Amino acid sequence: MAFSAYLIHLGILACMYVMLSMSLNLALGFTGMLNLGHVAFFGIGAYITAILSMAGLPLWLTFIIAFIGALLAGILLSLPTSRLRGDYLALATLGFTFIMAAIARNWQSVTRGALGIPGIPRLVASNELYFVWIGLSTVIIASLLFWLTRSRIGRTLQAIRDDELGAMVLGKNVFAYRMLALAVSAGIAGIAGFFFAHFITFVDPSVFSIDDLILMFSMVILGGLASLRGSVIASFIIFLLPEPLRFIGFPSSIVGPARAILFALILILMLIYKPRGLFGKVDLA
Amino acid sequence: MSSILFQLLLNGIIAGAIYALVAAGFALICSVMKFMHFAHGGVVAAGAYFLYLFSLWFSPVPAVLLALISTILFGLLMDWSVYKQLRKRHASSAVLLIASIGLMILTSNLILIAFGADVKTIPLAQNNPVFDILGARITLIQIIIIITSIVLFGALYYLMKCTRLGKALRAVADNNSIAQTVGINPDKMYLTTIIIGSGLGAIAGMLIGLEQNLYPHMGLALVIKGFTGAVIGGVTSVHGSVLGALLLGMVENLGIWYLPSGYKDAIAFVLLFIFLLVKPEGILGKRFERG
Repeated sequence: MAFSAYLIHLGILACMYVMLSMSLNLALGFTGMLNLGHVAFFGIGAYITAILSMAGLPLWLTFIIAFIGALLAGILLSLPTSRLRGDYLALATLGFTFIMAAIARNWQSVTRGALGIPGIPRLVASNELYFVWIGLSTVIIASLLFWLTRSRIGRTLQAIRDDELGAMVLGKNVFAYRMLALAVSAGIAGIAGFFFAHFITFVDPSVFSIDDLILMFSMVILGGLASLRGSVIASFIIFLLPEPLRFIGFPSSIVGPARAILFALILILMLIYKPRGLFGKVDLA
Repeated sequence: MSSILFQLLLNGIIAGAIYALVAAGFALICSVMKFMHFAHGGVVAAGAYFLYLFSLWFSPVPAVLLALISTILFGLLMDWSVYKQLRKRHASSAVLLIASIGLMILTSNLILIAFGADVKTIPLAQNNPVFDILGARITLIQIIIIITSIVLFGALYYLMKCTRLGKALRAVADNNSIAQTVGINPDKMYLTTIIIGSGLGAIAGMLIGLEQNLYPHMGLALVIKGFTGAVIGGVTSVHGSVLGALLLGMVENLGIWYLPSGYKDAIAFVLLFIFLLVKPEGILGKRFERG
């Protein structure tokens, strides 16, 4: 009985990570943008959800606002970073993550700072039903992304990744396409944040953690850049991999960092020995 | 009023000196090896924690030396096991950056497991007399930090500008292929850079550990300040990075005169962002060549 509840719990979080890794792949794998700010979009979605639902707004409204809020954050980030590439883009987006974390910690009147926002109402009464909702949303988002990446827009994004100058010569508005990719990627991350907030019912500045960023990156790299199918599979693999650790009997103070070490190791080993991952079509930058 | 200003100024210099120590090692590695060694924060944290560990068993001087050597070995291990493998495979600097962030996370969590999440102090730091200078307070360790930084930066400058080794390092930083044609061995230079860089990071970590407390994620916080300083001053220029880090320390501490002190860190990030957008090569740097 308890074990099936545990599986449902895993399933819900795995769906959340599938959303996160697919959306990161859109920006990183398909458009070639080294976006280290992805976890910031997730956190923004989570915080918007937390603040608005505690203020009593109806569910569907917080969902929409969280999505749009994260999307706008993506647009906001793409504006000043439009000229940056490679390492500098990575640093600027990383800086964005840190700035968001600092705002979450300091804007106490809105975010309650380091105390976080507890007691977020649950979407539905049971976890099984929640799993259905998030599973459905994940499938819809995955379908939309599959369609998007196979469309002309998707091919243009990949062209921009492979040869930006060539794309410009052909008259493609590179700035607009990159903004689109980042905005969509951010919006989906925001939706993942929405589900996170309602499931965990507690949001604090740790949603902006770099450990989670490394986790998302390891999922995208393992699955392979520009492969949505790879991201889905890799998300399940990497997320479920450390679960046996819980049963071996390590104290909980070790399980947490041990998981982070495992993810970091996977990322590093993949980068060295199999940078294309399982289904990847391109190398990183 | 002016004594508060002077105190803030002094705090700015001390913070700037700390950041500059971190930035110097980071910038050296960045300029010679052409990638952002984010895990330098892990080296700094390792320096602090090794000193904590050894000072439990040994008297101060051997503890410091052992910590220094251990940290340098740790830095070499990171290079040999990860960066060297990536170099062999002609990985781009973007890949190296992501790998180094992974190493940084790895190091913080290893420290978390090995030493626990609680904040620690180094027993050596117990006797720390406070002095009064012109109405501002400064501790002995802070004075040591300032003096050590000045000595180290002077030594680093001398090394880079006046010795053959420094010239070789600058040659590799400038143009690796041509440096090889005059007989400079890049692998030896990389090793030397890691050793010097990690050494600087180790000393930074030890001084910070003595002055403040140790906590597992201190490496991340410090390397962020370090590379922000480096970006401000110019990642490709070692003395530029030192200057930039000093500037950062000053701006941070003078800035909290107007802003609530919680926003201290945010100042650094905003500066980072602004410089990356407006002048990514920093005040003294040259445009970064990407592999």
